[in-house]
Amino acid sequence: MRLSLACVYGHYCLFAPVLFHKPANGVTIDPSAETNYVEQGAKVELPFWLAHELHLRQAVSINLPACFDQKTRLEIQADAACVDLRSRCPNFYEFGCKLQPLVTDRTIGILLSTAFKIRYKERLTKVFTATHLTASKFLPFLTIEETNLYEAAHLSMTAFKKWRTGGPRFQRASILGRKRKES
Amino acid sequence: MYGRKGYQLVKDFASGEKGQLKPFNSKLFDETIEECRQNQRLIQSLMRKMEQEGLDVQNNRNADYYGALVHHLSLIRNKRCLMAYVHNRADIVRDLGWRVGLELPPEIQEKLTTLEKEYFKNHSAAIKSYMGKAGIDLNVDMVPPKDPYIKVRVVGDIDEGIVMSDKTTNFARHSMHFLKRTDAEPYIARGQMEELTG
Repeated sequence: MRLSLACVYGHYCLFAPVLFHKPANGVTIDPSAETNYVEQGAKVELPFWLAHELHLRQAVSINLPACFDQKTRLEIQADAACVDLRSRCPNFYEFGCKLQPLVTDRTIGILLSTAFKIRYKERLTKVFTATHLTASKFLPFLTIEETNLYEAAHLSMTAFKKWRTGGPRFQRASILGRKRKES
Repeated sequence: MYGRKGYQLVKDFASGEKGQLKPFNSKLFDETIEECRQNQRLIQSLMRKMEQEGLDVQNNRNADYYGALVHHLSLIRNKRCLMAYVHNRADIVRDLGWRVGLELPPEIQEKLTTLEKEYFKNHSAAIKSYMGKAGIDLNVDMVPPKDPYIKVRVVGDIDEGIVMSDKTTNFARHSMHFLKRTDAEPYIARGQMEELTG
């Protein structure tokens, strides 16, 4: 059982539409439901972790969430580098990878790899050459995975420059937070 | 319900500034445990219902079974969140011994629970004991220095008459000194001195 925060945190804020193959009593999954009974055949949005667990036990089948709908696919096909993927789903790639083996749609994998290759080439490699203005324009469109790559590149660039120019080797431990202004 | 409190707890941890430790969120922690109890009560009532209807709880797959399953999964999920919260904080607490030294500044202490402070104390004692037996200070920079001495400026308040490995000095604020790297390192890590270059 992995205890990393990423795998626990990332999954809850993602919802997946499911179809219940079995009924469930004593459960109010849908807040608008009047009873605490989920009918067989009910279509409900569940947190992804729960959808996954119930799917493993053949209680539900999972459908593609809205962030992978036809509109998004067409936009990615047209110009992947400009699509605001973060607003579709902040964990677009990770979520897609986890969904891929669970849904009947077999095209998710290609969608993700195509989008990533184009965006990596068009956006992420430009981090070393783009001006701050250009960079800040597309930063809000990047997914969490892409942002992590961007920041890693930035950090390594900064470390390289510091090595080139030289600087203090020791620093105040980062966990102590920002320096308080001395009176 | 359904892992919501566990999610909020983990989100609280993750929402802090990167690398910073937030105070232990006892309120959310207790609420998550309470949510687990609610799940457990519902599991028990659903299983009792199945037993009263004469059904085999282990093998029967009716609506009550799947309801109990959802609550069971939610409870396990919350448990995982609780453990992830404590585990990740413990990682940071252990790391503190290496980054900040074996004495914790008050602004960090107030973010830890009593148990975490105890954990830090024991871990630091284990590090100290190990270093004593190995006969080497492991808490120094891994990169061999070009010069064993560095120039520093005192920026914080340091007690008078500190004994360095080769002299005893008074460290008045803003004073500059030429110290051995290994002596200066812990003070720099705590923000009480800064290295001067050039």
